[in-house]
Amino acid sequence: MGTTVAGILSPGRPGVTRNWFGWWLMAPALVMFAANCIFPLAYAVVVSLKNYQMLIPVPARFVGIRNFLDIFSDPLFWSSLKVTASFIAGVVVLQFPAGFALALLLRGMHRFQTLAATLLLIPTIIASSVAAFQWSQLFNYQFGPLNFLLGLFGLGQPTWTASPTLALPSLLLVDFWEWTPFMMLLLLAGLHALPGDIIEAARVDGSRRWQIVWRIYLPLLRPVIGIALVLRVLMSFKTFDIIYVLTAGGPGTSTENLAYYTYIVGFRYFNLGYASALAILQLIVVAVLAKALIRLTHRPSLGGAT
Amino acid sequence: MTQGRSFTIGRRSLVQGGLAAGISGIAWRDRADAAAITLNIEVDAGQNELPFRWNAAALKTHFGFDSKLLSLPFVGQYEKLVTELTARSSVYDVLVFPPYFLGDFVALGFLRELDPYFHLLDPKLADYLPVYRDPVIKRAGKTYALMYDGDLLQLTYRTDLFGDPKEKAAFQQKYGHDLAVPTTWEEFMHVAEFFTRPPNLYGTAFYAARGFCYAWFINIFAGLGGHWFEADMKPGIDSDTGVQALTMLVDMKKFAPPNILQVDYPTLNEVFLNGSTAMVVQWDDLALKVENPAMSKVVGKGGFAPCPVRSYMPYSRVMAVSAFSKHPAEAYKLISYMQQPNVGITYVYDPECGEDPYRESYLNPAAVKNHTGQPTMSPEAAKSYVDAIRAGLEAGYPELSIPGGPRYIDILDLYVNQALAGSLSPKAALSACANEWASITEAEGKSDQQKAYSAWIDSFKQVGLKY
Repeated sequence: MGTTVAGILSPGRPGVTRNWFGWWLMAPALVMFAANCIFPLAYAVVVSLKNYQMLIPVPARFVGIRNFLDIFSDPLFWSSLKVTASFIAGVVVLQFPAGFALALLLRGMHRFQTLAATLLLIPTIIASSVAAFQWSQLFNYQFGPLNFLLGLFGLGQPTWTASPTLALPSLLLVDFWEWTPFMMLLLLAGLHALPGDIIEAARVDGSRRWQIVWRIYLPLLRPVIGIALVLRVLMSFKTFDIIYVLTAGGPGTSTENLAYYTYIVGFRYFNLGYASALAILQLIVVAVLAKALIRLTHRPSLGGAT
Repeated sequence: MTQGRSFTIGRRSLVQGGLAAGISGIAWRDRADAAAITLNIEVDAGQNELPFRWNAAALKTHFGFDSKLLSLPFVGQYEKLVTELTARSSVYDVLVFPPYFLGDFVALGFLRELDPYFHLLDPKLADYLPVYRDPVIKRAGKTYALMYDGDLLQLTYRTDLFGDPKEKAAFQQKYGHDLAVPTTWEEFMHVAEFFTRPPNLYGTAFYAARGFCYAWFINIFAGLGGHWFEADMKPGIDSDTGVQALTMLVDMKKFAPPNILQVDYPTLNEVFLNGSTAMVVQWDDLALKVENPAMSKVVGKGGFAPCPVRSYMPYSRVMAVSAFSKHPAEAYKLISYMQQPNVGITYVYDPECGEDPYRESYLNPAAVKNHTGQPTMSPEAAKSYVDAIRAGLEAGYPELSIPGGPRYIDILDLYVNQALAGSLSPKAALSACANEWASITEAEGKSDQQKAYSAWIDSFKQVGLKY
């Protein structure tokens, strides 16, 4: 038997009593965990198996997995999944290199590194809904400063969130502005934690800067990169507030991701059975995606710590 | 003695004082009870709060209670109300919402029937415009709401452009008929095309953003003779008329500002008020803003007319008493007071708020004044405006208000928006929407929906509205 918290706190008691004491100590946390995590999840699973529609005053019936089967023939689900996938791909492709570049830049700074990092982090600190509101002003077709500046250089006046083709890139731009500093922060912390002697040895051996980045930083940072990507993918999967404020899922369904679609089904149509099935499905997809990312970035053969 | 006398006096004083204190205490407690009541009013945030603010002191004076506004965002109001009321929350005493929520809210038992409270303060319903009386505020013969805002889409156009002899001649030459206020949708498209001269002038604009673009589609659809449903609840939009109407709306984008898919209520007001659009279909309160120098660059250049063929009546607002209010009598007094003829008239023509007339007595050009009693339009403009409202109501096309109404409408809005965005053809969009509508009908119970729809249509026919 290893050392337990209970063992430390009551060294004189026999083993069984010590374990009970430990359980008692953990009980409040376990109760909170059950109430806040297990119960809602279990309730969502139960509701997902019923035809529960809040606005129809008849008792909900058990329908088995019909809600889940319906999802696969729902064109709005597939279009929202496509939007979600495009958004996540955009986030990863744009934010990782930019965040990494910023982290490298900051690591190389000998003065004002903290000040620069703090200033860069301001967008991440701002509430997403507030940021989205600010961007809605920036994107304004007629009076927005973005179009004013583009007009000065004769670059035309895009309709940003009003355009079916530009709306999703506009959201990506907002998300990039808001969350790239977060990526930078995680990678910068990782860079600071790297052993200096290896880098020093590489320099002595004549490695160029890009070689150090490619052959030392990136492989050694793999676990941190994994965590950063998993976090950003999970967060992107749940993106809601900037969509709600800036596009409401439109034009059409061009920016309606899975989270927003689930909200519409659950809280506009109050089809709670179907919305719960959508939520459970998302949970499964996210869990699989996160697991795959973690495996990918923690492969021992690639030098990742496990 | 002194002590005894003092004691005697003191005891008498005590008794007298006690009685006085008791009596005054009771009186004080009565006032305190009245003063202790604060009625919470749910209303969509912004300009529609103003009439309640303007009348808060009068409500206190007349009835002794305070009122507090709990504003909700315009978008998301339905979701918030349903979640709150499903939990039987008593946070709201008075609810202000569009009547298309009424079908669901009555079916779900969210509202108090108001007829038993009429003796407290006569709502004077005989003066209501018939179209807003039975069809809008009643269900199955019972009154569940009182009017706050009688909405209607109206055509607002630039008289200087329409009256310009050069423009008239050029138009005649191009289209072979006179430049005039359009009375058909074909004429509307001609005029819109004619005045499209980007980037300074566009022929028209419309609400194309998600939320209410369906209303501009239904406005055309109704004008072309379409109906919400057939008698067997087959969706009327999935038809040649529906496709024609939606195709027309999609085509209208060519005559509108480039950011048309972003145009919502305030933006639509703005594009007309800043002089960049020749004509718009918009809610009728735009007229008041056109004639307000603080808001408009086209003061004196606004002409008002009913929409071509039919005028759709989207949204509107009614006031109701929550079934879970702890002060239903007081809440009733509040809503009844707010729509009394002499109170409603102070806000239905005020350009600062968005309320529109709903009583026969309001359809009087001399009544077009703001809440302080100042005229807000020239007599000629006021007459044109009021005449346009009357003509629009006579050709009014009602907003769907049966159980499931908000869901039917939101789905329609989604697919109209998809067609406007170009991601679906008009035919595909309406066909997909009709499938969704069929699912809603099925879920609500087809025969129940048929009965509800038929009763709702009958209520309009009974007041002389063509359907």
